[in-house]
Amino acid sequence: MPTAPPKGATGDLTTFNVFHGFPEALVRGMRSSFLTDADYHHLTQCETVDDVRLNLSESDYSSALADMAVMTPASLQKAAIEKLVTEFKYLRSQAVEPLSTFLDFVTYEYMIENVMLLLKGALSGRDINELIAQCHPLGMFKESTMRSIPTFENSAKGYADLYQTVLVDTPVGPYFAMFLQESAEHRGDSRNVLEEVEIEIIKSSLIKYWLEDFAQFVEKLGGDTASIMGDLLKVRADTNAINITLNSFGTPLNEPAMRASDRKRLYPAVGHLYPVGSTMLVDVANEEELGRVLELFPQYKAIWNIHASGQGDISIDDAFYERDVQTLELAFESQFHFAVFYAYVKLKEQEIRNLVWISECILQQQKDEISKFVPVFSFHSPWREKKRS
Amino acid sequence: MADASSICKSDFCNAGWAEVLTHMSPYGFANFGVAFGLGLSIVGAAWGIWLTGSSLVGAAVKAPRIRSKNLISVIFCEATAIYGVIMAIILTNKIKEPELADSYLSANWDFNGFYYAGYGMFSAGLSVGLTNIASGVSVGIAGSSCAIADAQDASLFVKILIVEIFASALGIFGIIVGIIQSNACTFPVAAL
Repeated sequence: MPTAPPKGATGDLTTFNVFHGFPEALVRGMRSSFLTDADYHHLTQCETVDDVRLNLSESDYSSALADMAVMTPASLQKAAIEKLVTEFKYLRSQAVEPLSTFLDFVTYEYMIENVMLLLKGALSGRDINELIAQCHPLGMFKESTMRSIPTFENSAKGYADLYQTVLVDTPVGPYFAMFLQESAEHRGDSRNVLEEVEIEIIKSSLIKYWLEDFAQFVEKLGGDTASIMGDLLKVRADTNAINITLNSFGTPLNEPAMRASDRKRLYPAVGHLYPVGSTMLVDVANEEELGRVLELFPQYKAIWNIHASGQGDISIDDAFYERDVQTLELAFESQFHFAVFYAYVKLKEQEIRNLVWISECILQQQKDEISKFVPVFSFHSPWREKKRS
Repeated sequence: MADASSICKSDFCNAGWAEVLTHMSPYGFANFGVAFGLGLSIVGAAWGIWLTGSSLVGAAVKAPRIRSKNLISVIFCEATAIYGVIMAIILTNKIKEPELADSYLSANWDFNGFYYAGYGMFSAGLSVGLTNIASGVSVGIAGSSCAIADAQDASLFVKILIVEIFASALGIFGIIVGIIQSNACTFPVAAL
């Protein structure tokens, strides 16, 4: 694995605060900036996007939206992400080892996404400036690095050059190297392997390596961080494995030969599904068979049933989002561990998704769709309602 | 084990740990008791204060209203140090210089009372010190959570404060027992 073992320890109940007390309290203070049930209620009553803005001026977003001329869902999203990134960078600047490495790990995911976005954009011949503007600000490289990524040709040699000249210096370089090496070993011919591999497959492999690396790092940190963050990553890995299988149906990846050779390699070697579940997933050829595998795992059975029943037009993504919010909220239930930092970023992303959804619905006059979002720390979440009744 | 030839036959030889301990002056024991009682109490207090303080400062960034209220948690930790100081003063007052002209103790000197006082004060100091470390750390952890909880929901402050009071009471148990332990300890000042 590329990452060195953590420098220093997280500390336990009695020593965590020596190095990480301040950033932890900061992020827990930031928890109060999540929109409340009342905020969401007011937002869904809005008639125009400007009303949304007016409502948000009472919230933590007011300063982020202050100097925006015309608010659109896209500009709202951009401003909100920028706000999240500012907060994250503040936390990062207050962090010392091993928390700083932990926070860097959170950003690697966005770096991988940005590299893939640039490569994909270059394939379809889009303008580089436009592409860079679309990149997630958490995963930014140096300007020169960003500009040089799309200049490499879409071939095995091009990717090897891309790795050797540009990505080798970035934190995601080791994952790319592992990918190149594995595909070389796998096909036995290092020059011609990548041409036919789609960008999505590269992305899935890089994310897989990132997840495995992150999981191992967290495991080495030990303590509450290992158990709470380990569980979040396991759930994340399982979601990826299920989604990869589900999205492969109807693509060449689902052909029997590809299933065992290529799709199998995309399943992360962490998670509740690993190893028994992911071995079973290898042979899955259609939704029905996938359902039969997930039937064996109680935590995914319910999610799968939502998808399989097809009623109430809730997609499997929505079901996963809801489950994610529920598990991420749990990270805030205990103190003196690192998982809150990851959970905060992910929950804020969910909130931004909610805001975009609400403002899009208002813009397109789709009032009956407006309540289909997953509020964060809501008093009316299904799992809280269940507990009360 | 040492073989027979290396065992010292002289009366002035060290006969093992028991003798090392009995040959330490009871005045030394008593003063070490003061040192441990005060020192460990202050370690506990300091430990609690940084546990609370770092969380308090962090949580106050988003919720500045908590900053004065949560100083109570810091004061609770400080109280731990004060228990140590009280105990140190009580113990120090019990250490009395003997009214002897020369440096040898006479044969009818009250050796039992002398050793009793030394060991008793050493143990009293240690009891206070160790309970105060435990008390300081637990007040600190509760105080750290108190600051974070108060930043989210002001109504939680009083509830967690009660938890903190109980954690603080641990230190009081220590000082009560410490005082009782040291009560009967009186250094003889003159020969019987």
